[in-house]
Amino acid sequence: MNYLLQPYNYDLSDPASIPNLFLDHLYLVGVTMLISLIIALPLGILVARRPRLYLLVITIADLLYTIPALALIGVLITITRLSLATAIIPLVIYTQLVLIRNTATAINGIDPLLLEVGKAMGMNARQVLLRVALPQALPTIIAGVRIATVTTIGIASLAYLAGQSGLGDLIFKNIVTRDFDAVAAGGILIALLAVVADLLLLAVQTVLNRGRTSVSLA
Amino acid sequence: MAKISFHEITKQYPGTSTPAVNAVSFDVAEGSTCMLVGTSGSGKTTLLRMVNRLIEPTSGEIVIDGKNVLQENPIALRRRIGYVIQQVGLFPHLNIAENVRVTAEIAGGWTKQRLDERVDELLELVGLPPAEYRKRFPRQLSGGQQQRVGLARALATDPAIMLMDEPFGALDAITRERMQNELLRIQRDVQKTILFVSHDIQEAFKLGEQIAVLDQGKLIQLGTPVDLLAQPANDFVRKLVGGDSILRQLEYLPVIDALENEPETVSSPPWGNVPTILSDATLLQAMLKLLETNAPALAVQDKDTQEKLGFITLASINREITHAHGHKTERTETAI
Repeated sequence: MNYLLQPYNYDLSDPASIPNLFLDHLYLVGVTMLISLIIALPLGILVARRPRLYLLVITIADLLYTIPALALIGVLITITRLSLATAIIPLVIYTQLVLIRNTATAINGIDPLLLEVGKAMGMNARQVLLRVALPQALPTIIAGVRIATVTTIGIASLAYLAGQSGLGDLIFKNIVTRDFDAVAAGGILIALLAVVADLLLLAVQTVLNRGRTSVSLA
Repeated sequence: MAKISFHEITKQYPGTSTPAVNAVSFDVAEGSTCMLVGTSGSGKTTLLRMVNRLIEPTSGEIVIDGKNVLQENPIALRRRIGYVIQQVGLFPHLNIAENVRVTAEIAGGWTKQRLDERVDELLELVGLPPAEYRKRFPRQLSGGQQQRVGLARALATDPAIMLMDEPFGALDAITRERMQNELLRIQRDVQKTILFVSHDIQEAFKLGEQIAVLDQGKLIQLGTPVDLLAQPANDFVRKLVGGDSILRQLEYLPVIDALENEPETVSSPPWGNVPTILSDATLLQAMLKLLETNAPALAVQDKDTQEKLGFITLASINREITHAHGHKTERTETAI
Protein backbone atom coordinates (compact mmCIF):
# COMPACT_ATOMS: atom_id res chain seq x y z
CA MET A 1 0.00 0.00 0.00
CA ASN A 2 2.79 2.34 0.83
CA TYR A 3 4.09 1.94 -2.66
CA LEU A 4 1.06 3.71 -3.97
CA LEU A 5 1.65 6.63 -1.69
CA GLN A 6 5.29 7.30 -2.46
CA PRO A 7 5.53 10.36 -4.68
CA TYR A 8 8.66 9.13 -6.41
CA ASN A 9 6.65 6.38 -7.93
CA TYR A 10 4.70 8.94 -9.88
CA ASP A 11 7.66 10.50 -11.63
CA LEU A 12 6.54 10.78 -15.23
CA SER A 13 10.01 10.72 -16.65
CA ASP A 14 10.57 7.28 -15.18
CA PRO A 15 9.24 4.57 -17.48
CA ALA A 16 8.68 2.31 -14.51
CA SER A 17 6.55 4.83 -12.63
CA ILE A 18 2.93 4.10 -11.90
CA PRO A 19 1.38 6.54 -14.38
CA ASN A 20 3.58 5.28 -17.21
CA LEU A 21 2.93 1.65 -16.45
CA PHE A 22 -0.74 2.49 -16.25
CA LEU A 23 -0.65 4.11 -19.66
CA ASP A 24 1.30 1.20 -21.09
CA HIS A 25 -1.31 -1.16 -19.76
CA LEU A 26 -4.06 0.94 -21.29
CA TYR A 27 -2.17 0.92 -24.55
CA LEU A 28 -2.03 -2.88 -24.54
CA VAL A 29 -5.74 -3.12 -23.78
CA GLY A 30 -6.62 -0.46 -26.36
CA VAL A 31 -4.66 -2.06 -29.19
CA THR A 32 -6.04 -5.48 -28.29
CA MET A 33 -9.65 -4.34 -28.25
CA LEU A 34 -9.28 -2.46 -31.52
CA ILE A 35 -7.81 -5.46 -33.35
CA SER A 36 -10.27 -7.81 -31.64
CA LEU A 37 -13.28 -5.82 -32.79
CA ILE A 38 -11.95 -5.51 -36.32
CA ILE A 39 -11.76 -9.30 -36.46
CA ALA A 40 -14.74 -10.33 -34.34
CA LEU A 41 -17.45 -7.93 -35.50
CA PRO A 42 -17.38 -8.92 -39.18
CA LEU A 43 -17.00 -12.57 -38.20
CA GLY A 44 -19.96 -12.30 -35.86
CA ILE A 45 -22.06 -10.69 -38.58
CA LEU A 46 -20.96 -13.38 -41.03
CA VAL A 47 -21.87 -16.34 -38.88
CA ALA A 48 -24.99 -14.83 -37.38
CA ARG A 49 -27.61 -16.48 -39.54
CA ARG A 50 -25.52 -19.44 -40.63
CA PRO A 51 -25.76 -22.08 -37.88
CA ARG A 52 -23.21 -24.52 -39.27
CA LEU A 53 -20.60 -21.87 -39.91
CA TYR A 54 -21.33 -20.40 -36.49
CA LEU A 55 -20.72 -23.75 -34.84
CA LEU A 56 -17.40 -24.12 -36.64
CA VAL A 57 -16.13 -20.66 -35.81
CA ILE A 58 -17.27 -20.75 -32.18
CA THR A 59 -15.71 -24.16 -31.66
CA ILE A 60 -12.37 -22.89 -32.94
CA ALA A 61 -12.59 -19.77 -30.77
CA ASP A 62 -13.48 -21.91 -27.81
CA LEU A 63 -10.56 -24.28 -28.33
CA LEU A 64 -8.15 -21.36 -28.59
CA TYR A 65 -9.66 -19.89 -25.45
CA THR A 66 -8.84 -23.03 -23.48
CA ILE A 67 -5.10 -22.72 -24.14
CA PRO A 68 -3.64 -21.18 -20.97
CA ALA A 69 -2.25 -17.70 -21.50
CA LEU A 70 1.09 -18.55 -20.05
CA ALA A 71 1.47 -21.51 -22.35
CA LEU A 72 0.56 -19.53 -25.40
CA ILE A 73 2.99 -16.76 -24.55
CA GLY A 74 5.68 -19.34 -23.95
CA VAL A 75 5.15 -20.90 -27.38
CA LEU A 76 4.92 -17.56 -29.12
CA ILE A 77 8.20 -16.33 -27.67
CA THR A 78 9.94 -18.95 -29.76
CA ILE A 79 8.24 -17.60 -32.87
CA THR A 80 7.77 -13.89 -32.39
CA ARG A 81 10.43 -13.29 -29.73
CA LEU A 82 9.93 -10.63 -27.08
CA SER A 83 7.73 -8.22 -28.98
CA LEU A 84 4.42 -6.48 -28.85
CA ALA A 85 3.00 -9.21 -31.09
CA THR A 86 3.78 -11.88 -28.52
CA ALA A 87 1.64 -10.03 -26.02
CA ILE A 88 -1.14 -8.89 -28.35
CA ILE A 89 -1.76 -12.16 -30.16
CA PRO A 90 -2.91 -14.13 -27.13
CA LEU A 91 -4.89 -11.19 -25.83
CA VAL A 92 -6.78 -10.88 -29.11
CA ILE A 93 -7.37 -14.62 -29.28
CA TYR A 94 -8.93 -14.70 -25.83
CA THR A 95 -11.47 -12.02 -26.67
CA GLN A 96 -12.75 -13.70 -29.80
CA LEU A 97 -15.01 -16.26 -28.20
CA VAL A 98 -17.15 -13.80 -26.28
CA LEU A 99 -17.11 -11.11 -28.96
CA ILE A 100 -18.11 -13.38 -31.84
CA ARG A 101 -20.74 -15.13 -29.77
CA ASN A 102 -22.29 -11.91 -28.51
CA THR A 103 -22.23 -10.26 -31.93
CA ALA A 104 -23.92 -13.25 -33.56
CA THR A 105 -26.49 -13.44 -30.76
CA ALA A 106 -27.13 -9.72 -31.07
CA ILE A 107 -27.80 -9.99 -34.77
CA ASN A 108 -29.94 -13.07 -34.42
CA GLY A 109 -31.91 -11.21 -31.79
CA ILE A 110 -32.95 -8.45 -34.15
CA ASP A 111 -36.69 -8.91 -34.59
CA PRO A 112 -37.48 -9.34 -38.31
CA LEU A 113 -40.95 -7.99 -37.62
CA LEU A 114 -39.50 -4.67 -36.54
CA LEU A 115 -37.27 -4.56 -39.59
CA GLU A 116 -40.35 -5.02 -41.75
CA VAL A 117 -42.28 -2.39 -39.83
CA GLY A 118 -39.40 0.01 -40.48
CA LYS A 119 -39.41 -0.88 -44.15
CA ALA A 120 -43.18 -0.46 -44.36
CA MET A 121 -42.89 3.07 -43.01
CA GLY A 122 -40.67 3.94 -45.92
CA MET A 123 -37.27 3.72 -44.22
CA ASN A 124 -34.38 3.30 -46.59
CA ALA A 125 -31.67 0.76 -45.81
CA ARG A 126 -29.56 3.22 -43.82
CA GLN A 127 -32.51 4.28 -41.70
CA VAL A 128 -33.47 0.69 -41.00
CA LEU A 129 -29.90 -0.02 -39.90
CA LEU A 130 -29.51 3.04 -37.68
CA ARG A 131 -33.02 3.30 -36.28
CA VAL A 132 -34.07 -0.33 -35.96
CA ALA A 133 -31.27 -2.88 -36.33
CA LEU A 134 -28.46 -1.20 -34.42
CA PRO A 135 -30.48 -0.12 -31.39
CA GLN A 136 -31.61 -3.69 -30.99
CA ALA A 137 -28.17 -5.26 -31.49
CA LEU A 138 -25.97 -2.80 -29.64
CA PRO A 139 -26.78 -3.66 -26.03
CA THR A 140 -25.74 -7.29 -26.51
CA ILE A 141 -22.64 -6.34 -28.46
CA ILE A 142 -21.57 -3.90 -25.76
CA ALA A 143 -22.16 -6.59 -23.15
CA GLY A 144 -19.61 -8.70 -25.01
CA VAL A 145 -17.18 -5.79 -25.27
CA ARG A 146 -17.51 -5.29 -21.55
CA ILE A 147 -16.60 -8.88 -20.72
CA ALA A 148 -13.78 -8.87 -23.26
CA THR A 149 -12.30 -5.62 -21.94
CA VAL A 150 -12.31 -6.73 -18.33
CA THR A 151 -10.74 -10.08 -19.27
CA THR A 152 -8.07 -8.35 -21.34
CA ILE A 153 -7.19 -5.99 -18.51
CA GLY A 154 -6.53 -9.02 -16.37
CA ILE A 155 -4.54 -11.11 -18.86
CA ALA A 156 -2.54 -8.08 -19.99
CA SER A 157 -0.70 -8.30 -16.70
CA LEU A 158 1.18 -11.21 -18.26
CA ALA A 159 2.54 -8.93 -20.96
CA TYR A 160 5.66 -8.55 -18.83
CA LEU A 161 6.61 -12.07 -19.80
CA ALA A 162 6.63 -11.01 -23.41
CA GLY A 163 8.88 -8.12 -22.56
CA GLN A 164 6.12 -5.51 -22.73
CA SER A 165 5.57 -3.05 -19.93
CA GLY A 166 2.30 -2.73 -18.12
CA LEU A 167 0.91 -2.89 -14.61
CA GLY A 168 2.04 -6.52 -14.55
CA ASP A 169 5.57 -5.22 -14.15
CA LEU A 170 4.75 -4.13 -10.63
CA ILE A 171 3.95 -7.71 -9.78
CA PHE A 172 6.62 -9.67 -11.60
CA LYS A 173 9.60 -7.40 -11.08
CA ASN A 174 8.91 -6.98 -7.40
CA ILE A 175 8.24 -10.60 -6.54
CA VAL A 176 11.88 -11.28 -7.35
CA THR A 177 13.08 -8.40 -5.17
CA ARG A 178 10.55 -9.41 -2.51
CA ASP A 179 9.00 -5.90 -2.42
CA PHE A 180 5.56 -7.20 -1.57
CA ASP A 181 4.30 -3.71 -1.02
CA ALA A 182 4.83 -3.02 -4.71
CA VAL A 183 3.37 -6.37 -5.68
CA ALA A 184 0.21 -5.57 -3.76
CA ALA A 185 0.09 -2.15 -5.35
CA GLY A 186 0.23 -3.78 -8.78
CA GLY A 187 -2.57 -6.11 -7.91
CA ILE A 188 -4.74 -3.34 -6.54
CA LEU A 189 -4.22 -1.13 -9.56
CA ILE A 190 -5.07 -3.86 -12.05
CA ALA A 191 -8.18 -4.78 -10.13
CA LEU A 192 -9.18 -1.13 -9.88
CA LEU A 193 -8.72 -0.61 -13.59
CA ALA A 194 -10.84 -3.66 -14.32
CA VAL A 195 -13.66 -2.57 -12.02
CA VAL A 196 -13.72 1.00 -13.31
CA ALA A 197 -13.74 -0.21 -16.94
CA ASP A 198 -16.56 -2.61 -16.12
CA LEU A 199 -18.65 0.08 -14.47
CA LEU A 200 -18.12 2.53 -17.31
CA LEU A 201 -19.18 -0.03 -19.90
CA LEU A 202 -22.10 -1.04 -17.69
CA ALA A 203 -23.23 2.58 -17.77
CA VAL A 204 -23.00 2.58 -21.58
CA GLN A 205 -24.94 -0.67 -21.71
CA THR A 206 -27.65 0.68 -19.43
CA VAL A 207 -28.10 3.78 -21.54
CA LEU A 208 -28.35 1.69 -24.70
CA ASN A 209 -30.83 -0.65 -23.04
CA ARG A 210 -33.36 2.13 -22.76
CA GLY A 211 -36.91 0.98 -22.49
CA ARG A 212 -36.13 -2.65 -21.94
CA THR A 213 -36.31 -4.63 -18.74
CA SER A 214 -32.94 -6.11 -18.00
CA VAL A 215 -29.36 -5.61 -19.00
CA SER A 216 -28.35 -8.79 -20.77
CA LEU A 217 -24.98 -10.44 -20.64
CA ALA A 218 -25.20 -12.52 -23.80
CA MET B 1 -58.40 10.34 -49.69
CA ALA B 2 -57.37 8.16 -52.56
CA LYS B 3 -58.98 5.68 -54.85
CA ILE B 4 -57.32 2.28 -55.14
CA SER B 5 -57.83 0.06 -58.19
CA PHE B 6 -56.65 -3.48 -58.59
CA HIS B 7 -56.30 -4.68 -62.20
CA GLU B 8 -55.76 -8.43 -62.65
CA ILE B 9 -53.28 -8.40 -59.80
CA THR B 10 -51.50 -11.72 -59.41
CA LYS B 11 -48.83 -13.12 -57.14
CA GLN B 12 -47.32 -16.50 -57.80
CA TYR B 13 -44.47 -17.75 -55.69
CA PRO B 14 -41.89 -19.80 -57.59
CA GLY B 15 -42.39 -23.52 -57.16
CA THR B 16 -46.09 -23.31 -56.31
CA SER B 17 -48.83 -24.63 -58.55
CA THR B 18 -51.51 -22.06 -57.79
CA PRO B 19 -51.03 -18.33 -57.39
CA ALA B 20 -51.39 -16.87 -53.93
CA VAL B 21 -53.38 -14.04 -55.50
CA ASN B 22 -55.08 -14.84 -58.77
CA ALA B 23 -56.01 -12.03 -61.17
CA VAL B 24 -57.93 -9.99 -58.64
CA SER B 25 -59.63 -6.85 -59.90
CA PHE B 26 -61.76 -4.37 -58.01
CA ASP B 27 -61.91 -0.76 -56.94
CA VAL B 28 -61.91 0.84 -53.55
CA ALA B 29 -63.69 4.17 -53.47
CA GLU B 30 -62.07 7.21 -51.91
CA GLY B 31 -62.65 7.58 -48.21
CA SER B 32 -64.30 4.18 -47.88
CA THR B 33 -63.42 1.16 -45.79
CA CYS B 34 -62.98 -2.03 -47.78
CA MET B 35 -62.68 -5.27 -45.84
CA LEU B 36 -60.69 -8.19 -47.27
CA VAL B 37 -62.09 -11.40 -45.86
CA GLY B 38 -61.46 -15.05 -46.40
CA THR B 39 -60.04 -18.09 -44.69
CA SER B 40 -56.35 -18.56 -43.97
CA GLY B 41 -54.35 -18.76 -47.16
CA SER B 42 -56.97 -16.97 -49.20
CA GLY B 43 -54.46 -14.35 -50.28
CA LYS B 44 -55.97 -11.42 -48.42
CA THR B 45 -52.78 -10.46 -46.56
CA THR B 46 -50.69 -11.00 -49.69
CA LEU B 47 -53.00 -8.69 -51.61
CA LEU B 48 -52.77 -6.05 -48.90
CA ARG B 49 -49.00 -6.16 -48.81
CA MET B 50 -48.79 -5.62 -52.55
CA VAL B 51 -50.36 -2.20 -52.15
CA ASN B 52 -47.30 -0.88 -50.36
CA ARG B 53 -45.03 -3.27 -52.23
CA LEU B 54 -43.80 -5.21 -49.27
CA ILE B 55 -44.59 -8.00 -51.71
CA GLU B 56 -44.06 -7.36 -55.40
CA PRO B 57 -46.84 -8.51 -57.74
CA THR B 58 -46.02 -11.08 -60.40
CA SER B 59 -48.35 -9.38 -62.85
CA GLY B 60 -51.19 -6.90 -62.95
CA GLU B 61 -51.42 -3.36 -61.70
CA ILE B 62 -52.37 -1.49 -58.61
CA VAL B 63 -53.37 2.05 -59.40
CA ILE B 64 -53.70 4.71 -56.75
CA ASP B 65 -55.31 7.94 -57.94
CA GLY B 66 -54.41 7.16 -61.51
CA LYS B 67 -50.77 6.31 -60.81
CA ASN B 68 -49.49 2.75 -61.09
CA VAL B 69 -47.70 1.97 -57.84
CA LEU B 70 -45.24 -0.28 -59.65
CA GLN B 71 -43.83 2.75 -61.38
CA GLU B 72 -43.37 4.71 -58.22
CA ASN B 73 -40.36 4.56 -55.95
CA PRO B 74 -41.40 2.05 -53.25
CA ILE B 75 -39.92 4.07 -50.42
CA ALA B 76 -41.79 7.22 -51.43
CA LEU B 77 -44.94 5.11 -51.79
CA ARG B 78 -44.62 3.63 -48.32
CA ARG B 79 -44.10 7.02 -46.75
CA ARG B 80 -47.58 8.03 -47.76
CA ILE B 81 -49.37 4.85 -46.72
CA GLY B 82 -50.17 3.99 -43.11
CA TYR B 83 -49.58 0.37 -42.08
CA VAL B 84 -50.97 -1.33 -38.97
CA ILE B 85 -50.31 -4.98 -38.19
CA GLN B 86 -51.59 -7.49 -35.69
CA GLN B 87 -48.39 -7.68 -33.67
CA VAL B 88 -48.20 -3.89 -33.52
CA GLY B 89 -44.41 -3.71 -33.83
CA LEU B 90 -43.59 -0.71 -31.67
CA PHE B 91 -39.87 -0.05 -31.27
CA PRO B 92 -38.93 -1.11 -27.75
CA HIS B 93 -36.04 1.29 -27.41
CA LEU B 94 -38.22 4.35 -28.07
CA ASN B 95 -40.82 5.83 -25.78
CA ILE B 96 -44.41 6.32 -26.91
CA ALA B 97 -43.93 9.85 -28.22
CA GLU B 98 -40.87 8.81 -30.21
CA ASN B 99 -42.69 5.78 -31.56
CA VAL B 100 -45.63 7.84 -32.73
CA ARG B 101 -43.57 10.38 -34.54
CA VAL B 102 -41.11 8.05 -36.26
CA THR B 103 -43.29 7.85 -39.38
CA ALA B 104 -43.42 11.63 -39.57
CA GLU B 105 -39.66 11.85 -39.05
CA ILE B 106 -39.06 9.40 -41.90
CA ALA B 107 -41.43 11.28 -44.19
CA GLY B 108 -39.60 14.48 -43.36
CA GLY B 109 -40.54 18.11 -43.36
CA TRP B 110 -41.70 18.44 -39.76
CA THR B 111 -40.26 20.89 -37.25
CA LYS B 112 -39.64 19.70 -33.73
CA GLN B 113 -42.46 21.78 -32.36
CA ARG B 114 -44.89 20.58 -34.99
CA LEU B 115 -43.89 16.98 -34.23
CA ASP B 116 -44.57 17.45 -30.53
CA GLU B 117 -47.97 18.96 -31.26
CA ARG B 118 -48.81 16.19 -33.69
CA VAL B 119 -47.89 13.50 -31.15
CA ASP B 120 -50.19 15.01 -28.55
CA GLU B 121 -52.96 15.42 -31.11
CA LEU B 122 -52.71 11.78 -32.16
CA LEU B 123 -52.50 10.38 -28.64
CA GLU B 124 -55.68 12.29 -27.79
CA LEU B 125 -57.31 10.96 -30.94
CA VAL B 126 -56.65 7.34 -30.03
CA GLY B 127 -57.75 7.84 -26.45
CA LEU B 128 -54.40 7.91 -24.62
CA PRO B 129 -53.91 11.11 -22.57
CA PRO B 130 -50.58 12.51 -23.78
CA ALA B 131 -49.32 13.76 -20.44
CA GLU B 132 -49.61 10.26 -19.04
CA TYR B 133 -48.41 8.19 -21.98
CA ARG B 134 -45.86 10.30 -23.83
CA LYS B 135 -42.83 9.18 -21.85
CA ARG B 136 -43.81 5.59 -21.23
CA PHE B 137 -42.26 2.67 -23.01
CA PRO B 138 -44.09 0.03 -25.05
CA ARG B 139 -43.45 -2.77 -22.59
CA GLN B 140 -45.35 -0.81 -19.95
CA LEU B 141 -48.52 -0.78 -22.05
CA SER B 142 -51.22 -3.41 -22.49
CA GLY B 143 -51.91 -4.97 -25.87
CA GLY B 144 -54.84 -2.69 -26.54
CA GLN B 145 -52.90 0.40 -25.60
CA GLN B 146 -49.98 -0.66 -27.78
CA GLN B 147 -52.26 -1.10 -30.74
CA ARG B 148 -53.70 2.37 -30.16
CA VAL B 149 -50.15 3.70 -30.33
CA GLY B 150 -49.62 1.66 -33.50
CA LEU B 151 -52.69 3.29 -34.97
CA ALA B 152 -51.50 6.75 -33.91
CA ARG B 153 -48.13 6.06 -35.52
CA ALA B 154 -49.77 5.08 -38.79
CA LEU B 155 -51.90 8.21 -38.74
CA ALA B 156 -49.01 10.54 -37.95
CA THR B 157 -48.33 11.61 -41.53
CA ASP B 158 -52.06 11.86 -42.26
CA PRO B 159 -51.79 9.36 -45.10
CA ALA B 160 -54.61 9.08 -47.60
CA ILE B 161 -54.51 5.29 -47.41
CA MET B 162 -54.36 2.96 -44.44
CA LEU B 163 -53.51 -0.72 -44.71
CA MET B 164 -54.59 -2.72 -41.71
CA ASP B 165 -53.75 -6.40 -41.33
CA GLU B 166 -55.93 -7.99 -38.64
CA PRO B 167 -54.93 -5.17 -36.28
CA PHE B 168 -57.32 -6.22 -33.51
CA GLY B 169 -56.79 -9.95 -33.87
CA ALA B 170 -54.53 -10.29 -30.85
CA LEU B 171 -56.85 -8.44 -28.50
CA ASP B 172 -59.52 -9.82 -26.20
CA ALA B 173 -63.15 -9.50 -27.28
CA ILE B 174 -63.95 -6.50 -25.11
CA THR B 175 -60.88 -4.52 -26.14
CA ARG B 176 -61.41 -5.52 -29.76
CA GLU B 177 -64.93 -4.10 -29.73
CA ARG B 178 -63.70 -0.93 -28.12
CA MET B 179 -60.98 -0.56 -30.75
CA GLN B 180 -63.46 -1.20 -33.57
CA ASN B 181 -65.65 1.58 -32.20
CA GLU B 182 -62.61 3.84 -31.93
CA LEU B 183 -61.78 3.16 -35.56
CA LEU B 184 -65.33 3.96 -36.64
CA ARG B 185 -65.19 7.16 -34.67
CA ILE B 186 -61.80 8.15 -36.10
CA GLN B 187 -62.91 7.29 -39.61
CA ARG B 188 -65.88 9.62 -39.20
CA ASP B 189 -63.39 12.43 -38.56
CA VAL B 190 -60.61 11.62 -41.01
CA GLN B 191 -62.29 9.72 -43.84
CA LYS B 192 -59.32 7.72 -45.03
CA THR B 193 -59.35 5.04 -47.69
CA ILE B 194 -58.88 1.91 -45.60
CA LEU B 195 -58.07 -1.63 -46.72
CA PHE B 196 -58.65 -3.90 -43.75
CA VAL B 197 -57.85 -7.61 -43.67
CA SER B 198 -59.98 -9.64 -41.31
CA HIS B 199 -60.86 -13.28 -40.85
CA ASP B 200 -63.78 -12.26 -38.63
CA ILE B 201 -66.94 -11.74 -40.67
CA GLN B 202 -68.67 -9.88 -37.86
CA GLU B 203 -65.86 -7.37 -37.77
CA ALA B 204 -66.07 -7.05 -41.53
CA PHE B 205 -69.77 -6.29 -41.39
CA LYS B 206 -69.32 -3.82 -38.61
CA LEU B 207 -66.47 -1.82 -40.10
CA GLY B 208 -66.75 -2.26 -43.84
CA GLU B 209 -68.72 -0.33 -46.39
CA GLN B 210 -67.54 -2.80 -48.97
CA ILE B 211 -66.39 -6.36 -48.48
CA ALA B 212 -64.15 -8.34 -50.82
CA VAL B 213 -64.37 -12.08 -50.25
CA LEU B 214 -61.29 -14.02 -51.30
CA ASP B 215 -60.87 -17.76 -51.56
CA GLN B 216 -57.64 -19.41 -52.69
CA GLY B 217 -56.40 -16.22 -54.24
CA LYS B 218 -59.50 -15.43 -56.25
CA LEU B 219 -62.01 -12.66 -55.66
CA ILE B 220 -65.31 -14.46 -55.11
CA GLN B 221 -67.61 -11.60 -54.32
CA LEU B 222 -67.45 -7.89 -53.79
CA GLY B 223 -70.33 -6.08 -52.13
CA THR B 224 -71.95 -4.46 -49.14
CA PRO B 225 -72.84 -6.55 -46.10
CA VAL B 226 -76.41 -6.77 -47.34
CA ASP B 227 -75.28 -7.94 -50.77
CA LEU B 228 -73.31 -10.76 -49.18
CA LEU B 229 -76.14 -11.73 -46.90
CA ALA B 230 -78.91 -11.52 -49.43
CA GLN B 231 -77.14 -12.76 -52.52
CA PRO B 232 -74.09 -14.83 -51.66
CA ALA B 233 -72.22 -15.75 -54.84
CA ASN B 234 -71.65 -19.34 -53.83
CA ASP B 235 -71.73 -21.78 -50.94
CA PHE B 236 -68.38 -20.59 -49.70
CA VAL B 237 -69.70 -17.07 -49.21
CA ARG B 238 -72.95 -18.36 -47.79
CA LYS B 239 -71.06 -20.38 -45.19
CA LEU B 240 -68.69 -17.53 -44.49
CA VAL B 241 -71.39 -15.00 -43.69
CA GLY B 242 -73.26 -17.39 -41.48
CA GLY B 243 -76.47 -19.43 -41.48
CA ASP B 244 -78.99 -17.04 -39.95
CA SER B 245 -78.54 -14.57 -42.76
CA ILE B 246 -82.13 -13.35 -42.81
CA LEU B 247 -81.88 -12.09 -39.28
CA ARG B 248 -78.57 -10.43 -40.04
CA GLN B 249 -79.98 -8.71 -43.08
CA LEU B 250 -82.53 -7.06 -40.85
CA GLU B 251 -79.67 -5.58 -38.91
CA TYR B 252 -78.34 -3.81 -41.95
CA LEU B 253 -81.46 -2.60 -43.70
CA PRO B 254 -82.82 0.75 -42.59
CA VAL B 255 -86.52 1.19 -41.81
CA ILE B 256 -87.02 3.78 -44.50
CA ASP B 257 -86.53 1.06 -47.11
CA ALA B 258 -89.67 -0.72 -45.92
CA LEU B 259 -92.08 2.13 -45.59
CA GLU B 260 -95.68 1.78 -46.49
CA ASN B 261 -96.25 5.25 -47.67
CA GLU B 262 -99.20 5.27 -49.95
CA PRO B 263 -100.90 8.61 -49.38
CA GLU B 264 -104.15 7.28 -47.95
CA THR B 265 -102.40 5.18 -45.33
CA VAL B 266 -100.29 8.11 -44.15
CA SER B 267 -103.13 10.54 -43.70
CA SER B 268 -105.75 8.18 -42.32
CA PRO B 269 -104.13 5.14 -40.83
CA PRO B 270 -106.45 2.21 -40.26
CA TRP B 271 -104.81 1.29 -36.99
CA GLY B 272 -105.24 4.43 -34.94
CA ASN B 273 -102.32 5.39 -32.73
CA VAL B 274 -99.28 3.20 -33.07
CA PRO B 275 -95.85 3.37 -31.45
CA THR B 276 -93.19 5.33 -33.29
CA ILE B 277 -89.73 4.45 -34.38
CA LEU B 278 -87.01 6.81 -35.61
CA SER B 279 -85.91 6.86 -39.22
CA ASP B 280 -82.33 5.84 -38.47
CA ALA B 281 -83.42 2.53 -36.95
CA THR B 282 -82.79 -0.81 -38.63
CA LEU B 283 -85.42 -3.32 -39.69
CA LEU B 284 -84.29 -5.55 -36.85
CA GLN B 285 -85.10 -2.87 -34.31
CA ALA B 286 -88.47 -2.31 -36.00
CA MET B 287 -89.29 -5.99 -35.88
CA LEU B 288 -88.31 -6.25 -32.25
CA LYS B 289 -90.45 -3.24 -31.39
CA LEU B 290 -93.40 -4.75 -33.22
CA LEU B 291 -92.96 -7.92 -31.18
CA GLU B 292 -92.53 -5.98 -27.98
CA THR B 293 -95.57 -3.75 -28.39
CA ASN B 294 -97.74 -6.24 -30.28
CA ALA B 295 -98.78 -3.32 -32.46
CA PRO B 296 -100.04 -3.86 -36.00
CA ALA B 297 -97.65 -1.21 -37.32
CA LEU B 298 -95.07 1.36 -36.32
CA ALA B 299 -95.04 5.00 -37.36
CA VAL B 300 -91.68 6.04 -38.75
CA GLN B 301 -90.64 9.46 -37.61
CA ASP B 302 -87.84 11.46 -39.19
CA LYS B 303 -84.91 11.61 -36.76
CA ASP B 304 -84.36 15.35 -37.16
CA THR B 305 -87.66 16.91 -38.22
CA GLN B 306 -90.06 14.62 -36.28
CA GLU B 307 -92.12 14.49 -39.43
CA LYS B 308 -94.13 11.33 -39.99
CA LEU B 309 -92.65 9.56 -42.99
CA GLY B 310 -94.86 6.49 -43.15
CA PHE B 311 -95.61 3.22 -41.53
CA ILE B 312 -93.94 -0.11 -41.24
CA THR B 313 -95.61 -3.49 -40.81
CA LEU B 314 -94.49 -7.10 -40.71
CA ALA B 315 -95.73 -7.41 -44.24
CA SER B 316 -93.62 -4.53 -45.44
CA ILE B 317 -90.59 -6.00 -43.70
CA ASN B 318 -91.23 -9.32 -45.40
CA ARG B 319 -91.54 -7.55 -48.71
CA GLU B 320 -88.23 -5.83 -48.20
CA ILE B 321 -86.37 -9.03 -47.39
CA THR B 322 -87.80 -11.00 -50.27
CA HIS B 323 -87.17 -8.04 -52.53
CA ALA B 324 -83.54 -7.98 -51.41
CA HIS B 325 -83.33 -11.66 -52.29
CA GLY B 326 -84.14 -10.69 -55.83
CA HIS B 327 -87.46 -12.46 -55.87
CA LYS B 328 -90.42 -10.74 -57.35
CA THR B 329 -93.42 -11.01 -55.08
CA GLU B 330 -97.01 -9.79 -55.21
CA ARG B 331 -97.56 -6.83 -53.03
CA THR B 332 -99.55 -8.22 -50.16
CA GLU B 333 -102.56 -6.21 -49.24
CA THR B 334 -102.57 -4.57 -45.91
CA ALA B 335 -105.23 -6.01 -43.71
CA ILE B 336 -107.85 -3.58 -42.66
